[in-house]
Amino acid sequence: MNELAILSQAMIRERKDIILSILGGFVAGIAGVVLFSTSGYLISQTVFEPPLYTLIVLTSLVKLLGLLRAVSRYGERIYSHRATFSMLSRLRSSFFAKLIPLTPGILNKNRSGDLLARIVGDVESLQHYFLRVAYPPIIVVMVFLTTMLATASFSFWMACLMLLGMLGTVLVVPGIVLLGYRKINGHVRKQRALLSTEVTEVLYGFRDLKVYGQLAQREQQLRQASAALAVEQQREAGHLLRGQSMHAFVTYLISWGVLALGAYLISDGTLAGVYLAMLVMASLTVFEEAAAMATLPAYKQDSEHAAKRLTEEVLTPTLQPLQPSRTLNADHAVSIELSGVSFQYEGEWRPALKSLSLQIPPGSKTAIVGPSGSGKSTLMELLLKLRTPTAGDLRLSGISVQELEESSIWKTANVVLQQSHFFRGTIRDNLLIDGEDHSDGDLLDILAKVQLPTTSLTDPVYEKGENLSDGEKQRLALARAMLRNGKLWLLDEPTSSLDYVTEQRVLTHLYEQASEDTLLLICHRLNGLEGMDKIVVMEQGRVIETGSYSELMEQNGYFYKMKQMELQLIGEAH
Amino acid sequence: MRGKRSLIAIQMTAQRKRLIYLAFISLALGAAIVSQAALLAEAVQRIFVERASFSSVALLLGILLVVMAIRTLLSYGNGTVGLQMAATAKKNMRAAVLQNFTFASMPSSLRGQTGGKVSMALDAVDEADSYFSQYMPRMVETVMIPILILVVTFTQHAHSGIIMLVTAPFIPIFMILVGLKTKNKSEEKYAQLAEFAGTFLDSLQGLVTLKIFGRARRQQQEIERSSLRYRDATMDILKIAFTNTLMLESIVMLSIGIVALELAIQLLVFQSMSFHTAFFVLLLVPEFYSLLKSSGTAFHNGRTSMGAIRKVETMLADTNDRNDPKDQPVALPTFPKKWFPMPPSIELDNVRFQYAPDSFELNTGSITIGPGDHIALVGHSGSGKTTLLHLIAGLLKPASGTILVNGNPLTPQNETTWFEHISYITQHPYIFAGTFADNIAIGAGRKVTRAEIEVAAADAGLSKVVSQLEQGFDTPVGEGGRGLSGGEKQRLALARAFLKRPSLILFDEPTVGLDLHTEGILQRSIATLAKSATMITAAHRLYTIRHADNILIMDHGVLAGSGHHDELMKRLPAYAEMVDVQRKGVPG
Repeated sequence: MNELAILSQAMIRERKDIILSILGGFVAGIAGVVLFSTSGYLISQTVFEPPLYTLIVLTSLVKLLGLLRAVSRYGERIYSHRATFSMLSRLRSSFFAKLIPLTPGILNKNRSGDLLARIVGDVESLQHYFLRVAYPPIIVVMVFLTTMLATASFSFWMACLMLLGMLGTVLVVPGIVLLGYRKINGHVRKQRALLSTEVTEVLYGFRDLKVYGQLAQREQQLRQASAALAVEQQREAGHLLRGQSMHAFVTYLISWGVLALGAYLISDGTLAGVYLAMLVMASLTVFEEAAAMATLPAYKQDSEHAAKRLTEEVLTPTLQPLQPSRTLNADHAVSIELSGVSFQYEGEWRPALKSLSLQIPPGSKTAIVGPSGSGKSTLMELLLKLRTPTAGDLRLSGISVQELEESSIWKTANVVLQQSHFFRGTIRDNLLIDGEDHSDGDLLDILAKVQLPTTSLTDPVYEKGENLSDGEKQRLALARAMLRNGKLWLLDEPTSSLDYVTEQRVLTHLYEQASEDTLLLICHRLNGLEGMDKIVVMEQGRVIETGSYSELMEQNGYFYKMKQMELQLIGEAH
Repeated sequence: MRGKRSLIAIQMTAQRKRLIYLAFISLALGAAIVSQAALLAEAVQRIFVERASFSSVALLLGILLVVMAIRTLLSYGNGTVGLQMAATAKKNMRAAVLQNFTFASMPSSLRGQTGGKVSMALDAVDEADSYFSQYMPRMVETVMIPILILVVTFTQHAHSGIIMLVTAPFIPIFMILVGLKTKNKSEEKYAQLAEFAGTFLDSLQGLVTLKIFGRARRQQQEIERSSLRYRDATMDILKIAFTNTLMLESIVMLSIGIVALELAIQLLVFQSMSFHTAFFVLLLVPEFYSLLKSSGTAFHNGRTSMGAIRKVETMLADTNDRNDPKDQPVALPTFPKKWFPMPPSIELDNVRFQYAPDSFELNTGSITIGPGDHIALVGHSGSGKTTLLHLIAGLLKPASGTILVNGNPLTPQNETTWFEHISYITQHPYIFAGTFADNIAIGAGRKVTRAEIEVAAADAGLSKVVSQLEQGFDTPVGEGGRGLSGGEKQRLALARAFLKRPSLILFDEPTVGLDLHTEGILQRSIATLAKSATMITAAHRLYTIRHADNILIMDHGVLAGSGHHDELMKRLPAYAEMVDVQRKGVPG
């Protein structure tokens, strides 16, 4: 199980809690066995009419054992759960650490949200591994072996029978169940994924399906998929139920064996009759401890599946080469140079950037325009070394990005991404995200500059900034960038949700601050580009035009036509 | 809920037969448990007390083995009935949920997140499973078997029976206490727990931002810290639960101990009972308590399950109240002749619509659209253009007022026929998982030949795109297939329309984001399609608006004016301003 190697590491670090929980479980198990066998013995003893005090001693022992069992069970539960949750926290942070260099590389353009949610879910489901799969068998085996040893002092053959029972319940039955279970479980997952996809399609495509009269047919399909899922799930549960029944029957069979063997040995004269009830009770109880083994296969399959998916998704992608050590000079404006840069997303059928060449001198202001999907944002991610070009060379201030330490790029760059993330907390927390100190006065000053004068620093921000409008998010992201001192501005549609007047006010402040710096602005509106040093027009991953605003308008080319089309749009501006 | 019966009750009545099976099997199972104990006791009695020879107990042992096998089979049978109940119930519930989704009209499909709805159909229904597969069989067993054991114990030895009877109620009482207390505690800590639990996902989603701001490593520690806080908060809740379990187990142990002591005293001091009876009772007692305990676990699962069922119930009731699918009879199978001629004329008579009380209201007043007219809908975003298109398409039902097609009212009864004649081309058409050809063929609503698909694709300007795909028309697209750009999706939607040849086209004109080439194709193709159709365009382009037969200006949900472009420019300052705003926006 090399997939579960990540777990063993986490488990080793929680060894104290693990040992304590195993100890607790073991004591509880043994106490239970002793408790019931003693009561069996007690009853048998009465036949010989022993003095009353032995009886009293025995019954008090029984009660003490009962208490001991309950208390150690309590300890087991506390320690095992504590260990599980501690492991979970370690797993989370270690997975996060592993994901840091891989993001956004492992996120394809679509469905990235699903992948992240799945990683979270998979890590959660690993918690069952320790609690239900890893340690219960240890306890069961320990209790069994101890009981076996004790039994051996009464009869060797009885001990052998116990061993047989242990092998049956710990190895054979779970083994048999696991054998078929993997396949059935695979069917269930497939069917469930199918239904999920189909339901999602119907919901997303509702309008198209309705207008095209396909809803009834789709509902029929959904019903079939749902019925198929129910059948597979029933098969799966039935398989587990058969395993449980098998487990129960093995238990009965062994107890029966103890009784039959006992009968034989007693008539043979090799075993004292007074021990029979005790042994029967012991065998009945020891199997009760093994009940957890019956549900083990399902959890084992679940956590293995999760671990496998996590390893495939998170750990397999080729690890990034060692971080190069060259850094950008943070005091000077940065120049950007691209020669023959191509990039293709994994799993996509066409490149996002095709052999792109571009020169941006230090301190210049450049706008990149073009239809959506033309590769503008991809270019930005390449510049930030968030993704690596498939081919070509990309230089910042003359140094190839491959040789630059990524954090030095990030330190030099003031970035606004198309989708800025906001964290649960306050406005202040989100503005101070880069860990630098700014006085409240500075922060309020910046907020005023980005036209958020009424926003308070203590206003709450929900997860993903759900309580903020798109316009507010964009302005906060701009404020966040303006609080930094980088000499390279990379702005990806930073004002697309702002109205024209606000946009101009915000950008005026920004341009003022960036007057000495290199600035790259991706935009979808063509307004206010007259002051740019250069405008780069992109389409389908290629640069098709470059020049200043007046040059491009005179050329009467693509940019001119885009501008004409934009002039035709009405009713959009507020 | 209009006093409707609960979902659980409906499922239970539907499965009454299986409940009866459960009861019978449980009764037999109880009998098997009692017999097993009796036989075991008898065997030990004979072997140990009466010193019988091995061969004389062989038959007894044989019977015991058979009883054990029967007991296993019976409890397997109970489990199987439970699984069958669960499968049927899940199938029915999911069918209801799915029907709700597909019958829902636009507002309920717009409202609510898709993710949440998918989870309702899958997770919530699956969670309902354990109510039927675990809780019901266990509960039936708990009702039948412990009583049977108790009765048998009373007939054997009344004192033990009394001890069991007195101690048994403590178990459910403790179970309920555990449930209540942990529930309170967890509710108290709920916000805290949610916050800790969310940190991981929140950090993953913001990882790129964190990286750029140089915070990723620090966030890693934050994750561990918040996870540990989550652990501590959870442990606080669990400790209560575990302490109560500790008490519970102590009660059980104590009770068994008391029974054992009492048996011993009876045996030894009063010598009033046989070894056989004593051992028999001693074997029955743990069975009795373990059944009660396992019912507690089942009860806990059942409650979680019931929560999920209630969620489904609320969702169904909520949307049924808004649009009861039962009020919508099946569409007329034959085409009403009176709807001809096509393209149709459309009249809106004081149509009002609201998504929710005190939200934005659309009130059209009176609008007449002649056959073959090309109408431009103009207005700021949020002025009600899309809502109006949805109403005319029949995707939304007006709250009051009527929509007349060639003078006949548009009703849910004839919507299917109506849909056969319209195409709705949005800015974000949905691409279904399937091949390129499948996605176009959806438009036809009938079997179409490959040649027809190819022609439609060519008309929509897709030939070049298709020729670039290695599998051509058989290339999988949509979820799990090739990704298409926004412009390609729109052209695919156009190809669907070319197959359908609609008499009414509803078109939400693209605002920005398309390349010039696609723009050109869209304009041309739409013009071709619209030659023989009535067309209503939510227009953003001056070109479209200038050439429209009539312009409808929407403002805050009401019709602010209508007429030709030149006319409106003169008459309506608001319109002139809207047309001009873009140009004014350009400085210099």
